[in-house]
Amino acid sequence: MKILKSIYKLILLISVIFLSTAAISSENQLNDYYKTIRCLVCDGQSIQESDTEFAINLKEQIKKKFDNGITLKEINKELVSIYGEKISFTPSKNHIFLWMCPVIILIIFIFFIRRKYKYRSN
Amino acid sequence: MKKTLIFPLLGLIILGVCAFFFLSPSQEKEKVEFSLPEILFETSGFYDQEILNNKELGDLFIVNFFASWCKPCLAEHPLLMELHANGVKIVGINFRDDEDNFVEWINKHGNPFFHIIRDDGTIAYEMGLIGVPETYFINNLRVVKKIQGPLFYEDIEEYL
Repeated sequence: MKILKSIYKLILLISVIFLSTAAISSENQLNDYYKTIRCLVCDGQSIQESDTEFAINLKEQIKKKFDNGITLKEINKELVSIYGEKISFTPSKNHIFLWMCPVIILIIFIFFIRRKYKYRSN
Repeated sequence: MKKTLIFPLLGLIILGVCAFFFLSPSQEKEKVEFSLPEILFETSGFYDQEILNNKELGDLFIVNFFASWCKPCLAEHPLLMELHANGVKIVGINFRDDEDNFVEWINKHGNPFFHIIRDDGTIAYEMGLIGVPETYFINNLRVVKKIQGPLFYEDIEEYL
């Protein structure tokens, strides 16, 4: 009987630890996600840092959806469709050319300089 | 001859690509018009406990987000009263407000709204609200104009 009781206590302890870890990890996941969402009424702040009504409401709505089993990817897609791309701090793939442009120009520039240098040394 | 042409050509190509991205219509421009979210027609009103009837509303109406804690809402309130006096139907959405404060505010300043819905933030999220006051001009259940901040006479002239 004693053994059964201690097994029961152990299972209870493990499940409490498991549940609290899961809650903490989902909370952390949400907090990390909030950092990628721009607060549209404050300059350069994410909704995680902001205490405006807009940020508070957005955090609540995101949490509600997340708790209902909607993934962050789906939430992000919905947010972008409602508020536009400006809501996210992480640019979509559409802007990859924009980000790569300086690198491409630099590579072309180095290529030509090298060719010119080689031509002169020959 | 060929070598001298390379750099100007390269520059032209880069300029062309930049011009293409700059001139192509952005998502922001496309998103001016959007349909009203269904939740607006699923939430019951504060005074009559009834669901919004779009047949009663007609094709042209206004959706206004307001709150008793919002000072600019008070600034636009006389204009809303004027619109109401002119027969314009305004759906008021009370955004994240205390019920007692909201009732006191309406009793004190007058009710220009055809229908009032109290919102915990869900409708605001669905409609892409940034802050109160915010006004949406509706035509045929589609948002055709959105005014962020208090309304001014120029914004509603066509409705009077």
